[in-house]
Amino acid sequence: MLIDLKENSICTECGLCREVCPVFQIYHQEEYSPRGRAILGTTGIQTLIYYQCTLCRTCRVVCPIGHDPSGETLRSGLIAVGVETPANQTMIANIRQYGNPFGLLAEGEIPKTLTCC
Amino acid sequence: MMDRLESLLQPDQVSTQEETRVAYSRDASRIQGECRAVVWPETVTDVVRLAQWAAETGIDLVPRGAGTGLCGGATPQNSVVVDSARLRQMDVLNIQLKQVVVEAGVPLDQLNMNLRSAGLFLPVIPGSHRSATIGGMIATNAAGLHAVRYGRMANWVENIIVVNGNGQVQCLAGSERSNSAGWEGITGMIVQATLRLTECPGKRSLTLLSFENLRIMLDQIDTLKTNPELSAMEYVNPNAAIMVGWAAKHTLLIEYHNSDGEIKDPEEISIIWRGRESLSARLTQAGYPVSEDPQIPPEAQEEILGWLFAQEIPVFGHLGVGILHPRFLPDDPRIPELYGRVSVAGGRINGEHGMGLKKRRWASEALKKDFHALKTQFDPHHVFNRGKLC
Repeated sequence: MLIDLKENSICTECGLCREVCPVFQIYHQEEYSPRGRAILGTTGIQTLIYYQCTLCRTCRVVCPIGHDPSGETLRSGLIAVGVETPANQTMIANIRQYGNPFGLLAEGEIPKTLTCC
Repeated sequence: MMDRLESLLQPDQVSTQEETRVAYSRDASRIQGECRAVVWPETVTDVVRLAQWAAETGIDLVPRGAGTGLCGGATPQNSVVVDSARLRQMDVLNIQLKQVVVEAGVPLDQLNMNLRSAGLFLPVIPGSHRSATIGGMIATNAAGLHAVRYGRMANWVENIIVVNGNGQVQCLAGSERSNSAGWEGITGMIVQATLRLTECPGKRSLTLLSFENLRIMLDQIDTLKTNPELSAMEYVNPNAAIMVGWAAKHTLLIEYHNSDGEIKDPEEISIIWRGRESLSARLTQAGYPVSEDPQIPPEAQEEILGWLFAQEIPVFGHLGVGILHPRFLPDDPRIPELYGRVSVAGGRINGEHGMGLKKRRWASEALKKDFHALKTQFDPHHVFNRGKLC
């Protein structure tokens, strides 16, 4: 019944990171907590939940072993298999086409929409 | 059946998504189970509906707090997990009576932070205090770092509101509280409680004592306990001490709620406590992921602690109340040997983590008898936490 601990050898899954996570404070669902994302990361599931992380790394500060949940690594795994949010796709397209994440802007125009991941 | 479950609650209160089921398939014990769905009740009525649905369908419900338990108490077994994370109301603080009414999903640290301005706090502080919820602490009758002064969670509960396996809402007060506190959710889901509080300590100080000889250390304990301001007595054995960079000796961390300790600087005290509180995760990282929690009577502590040390097993814990946390590799044959020694000595195999799935094979006949009597009274259809404890 005990999982093979090599499956998630870095995160001890103690759950002490939950309450400091700003995303968990909104959803109150385990899959959006740093521990939840770490568990999902070990299963090979490619999910847009990995984008639901502010990369603030407060979880690393409170983690008793200083584990960094590596949100960037999880996201790069998504990119590698072509899983992106529509907002992310728009942002990248805008950067490529217009050289900025906002899209076409007239001279002096202040952007009204910021699309990002 | 899952369609009917979804119709009971709002769409955002139920999930059968793979990501959700995977994230809820185990707790901090890392005992893996199978999760059918997760629900997030927002009211007592939601929990009542869920209990009625479960009784009708035969699918069991697993109440879950923060998932910080170490015995698989919140691990589902083809079950629906009922997460209390949205039951976070803190209702009434009665300063005169020093009581507060809270819902089950309130995290301990959040509660104590809110109480700070009133100069009050709930003094039961388990190692998982950052995340641990009030419901989970009542269900496991948590002890923790300051049990030597403040006792266990049941001492601080005035009444408990539970939804039992028949879908009835019950208020358990007086002697009836013991039908829920410490029973790991098998008599129903805890949804609310009235808690007793105490004044925050004005001062804190610490003393670290190191001993080459275990017997000499144990001889000091009774004397140390005579100080009425003693608030923690934590032990770290030499095998564990070196893991946090401390000298490889039998070490006692003694905290007082006055200036009797040698270390008075709050920052230094905080650093030492952080080192102590990081021990659990650091021992997991160092290859000792299985945490046991025997409660060893004083007369057997020299024999059992000596045996653990000789076996090179890292140990830390709340020596002031005899609850210790030796750490092992999974399936270490010395675990049953330890519990054999503890049982012979008249100790408890479940000092503070509960029985969950992990220890049910060691359930005593007396525990099984009490379990069946409580199930008959509160949960005859085995709706809540089926297969746990016994």
